[in-house]
Amino acid sequence: MAIKYTAKVIEHFKNPHNIGVIENADACATEGSPACGDEITVYLKIDKATDRIEDVKFQSYGCASNIATGSIITDLAKGKTIDEAEAITWKQAADELGGLPPVKMHCSVLAVDGLRSAIRKYKKEAKGIDYDSTLDVKTVTEELKHVLWPPVGVDIITLKMVKYIGIDQGAVKVEISVGSDDKFLDPTVNEIIEHVSKIRGVKSVNVDNV
Amino acid sequence: MIYLDNFRSTMVAPEVWEAMRATAVDEYAVPAAFTQCGTGAAELIERAQNRLAAAIGASQNEVVFTGSGTEAINIALRGSMLSQSIEQPEIVTSEIEYPATLAVYREMEKEGYKAHFIKVDGEGKYDLDQLSSVLNEHTVMVSLMGVNHMIGTIEPLAQAGAIIAEASQRLGRRIPYHVDFASALQTQRLDVDAVKADLVSFSSNKIHGPKGVGALYVRKGTKIHPITFGAESYSPLVPGTPNTMGIAGFDKAVELLYATFDKDVEHMRSLTDRLAAGIRKRIPYILLNGPDGAGRAASHLCYSFLFIEGEAIMMFLDMDHIVVDTGSACAAATLKPNYILMAIGRNHEEAHGSIRFTLSRYSTEADVDTALAKLVPIVERLRAQSTIRPPVQ
Repeated sequence: MAIKYTAKVIEHFKNPHNIGVIENADACATEGSPACGDEITVYLKIDKATDRIEDVKFQSYGCASNIATGSIITDLAKGKTIDEAEAITWKQAADELGGLPPVKMHCSVLAVDGLRSAIRKYKKEAKGIDYDSTLDVKTVTEELKHVLWPPVGVDIITLKMVKYIGIDQGAVKVEISVGSDDKFLDPTVNEIIEHVSKIRGVKSVNVDNV
Repeated sequence: MIYLDNFRSTMVAPEVWEAMRATAVDEYAVPAAFTQCGTGAAELIERAQNRLAAAIGASQNEVVFTGSGTEAINIALRGSMLSQSIEQPEIVTSEIEYPATLAVYREMEKEGYKAHFIKVDGEGKYDLDQLSSVLNEHTVMVSLMGVNHMIGTIEPLAQAGAIIAEASQRLGRRIPYHVDFASALQTQRLDVDAVKADLVSFSSNKIHGPKGVGALYVRKGTKIHPITFGAESYSPLVPGTPNTMGIAGFDKAVELLYATFDKDVEHMRSLTDRLAAGIRKRIPYILLNGPDGAGRAASHLCYSFLFIEGEAIMMFLDMDHIVVDTGSACAAATLKPNYILMAIGRNHEEAHGSIRFTLSRYSTEADVDTALAKLVPIVERLRAQSTIRPPVQ
């Protein structure tokens, strides 16, 4: 089947909204990594009295859908309170773009993660609200809900692909079940490692396909 | 449209289309004996066999036409491997082969064959010492390519052929040597004896012929079994009704290819040189993938543009009606960076920013000048948007 972008994705890719840097931003966060193929940085300017996002900008290293999702989440976040913006989901961002091909859905996850990270940084620094939770199976499970299985664009927890999560003194072991020659195995393992490594207290991540 | 993706496929030449049309309308009979139309179709195939055979130093009966380059590779590899009864068989290829070859090797591994994937250097050239070291009494196939499809490297086929011939002599048995010449045919001449190849596969759509036709050279005396079975045709390797329309098109494409071969290669070389010079002059932070100069196919150029991602570059060029390819993971159905770029030592980020320009004899100076003029602001713009910044000078 032909994989195509919607006209709205193309429009946001061609003319992204809110691209750039905010000097002296109240918060800024980067998610993803160049090694994984995409990275996004989100900058926030927040009205401290009302907790409203006055201005938001982003930079992107990535493909057309990475740029388009960065553009749409900044549009969605602008003018909202930080709590409202934090509640924006990647499904919502993708829907706003008229949908994304399943294999590109992870771009929406990344963009929303970037926005949430920036908001949580602000909450921690300005309000002392600490989101960093302890390393346990629940935290790892939550984080793995951000890893999508590319052919369908649904997360690997919902798809029941994660068979076991073990934690031993910062060493995290994740067992998944995928065909050994599945073409999406390697990129998915890399993404699991990237996500789980972000959790505070994680010293190593080991993914086994069982 | 400015089409710079000719290693993926080429435009059908107008003369080729006319040859196909005439065959479809006037010569649609199946090859057969005695009747005028049946012998006419048989002669059409013989003419095509003769032309390709003559171009590569072979004889008519050593060439058959297949349904694609991929099918030719499958017949050559599986057909030859399965015809040999060697204990604990081993098969050799490189890590940068065309996907069809690698797919057959992975399948044969499942069937119990031990596969060796020889390494390449930073320019994509085969490690011939490694090739030499893996050949042994169990080896039943070596498969290599003439020109790498991603980075344009012209591979040392004749040197590899000499190594295989020497090992064969030592063993007292011929180790079959298959050459995938699909990406090479547009710019490289081939002499099957000089290269000492037993099997060579070709694809029509890489040289302005139609899709759905390939060819396979099988040296006389090479052990090979058919891998598909059906009604007898001109060769047991390709049973069923021959695609005479496609074969007529391929034949015309071969005729046109060699009619102006040297001039066309020189033309493509001057255009890729012009494009490369323009990119080097106007765009900083780039890496050439593959050899510089004569070691690379004349029609080929692949650069990595650092700090940005290739699918975005490709999409912007596409909006300007310029067609290129990228080795970026983002553009791959598998989300993996191109395996050939990784094999020559590029990291993920460098592979993501790669753009492949592949020209044809129909490309013009205006084409490459327009492509460059559009490319420069696209790269500048994406870099201005990127999270990654060039190092401060």
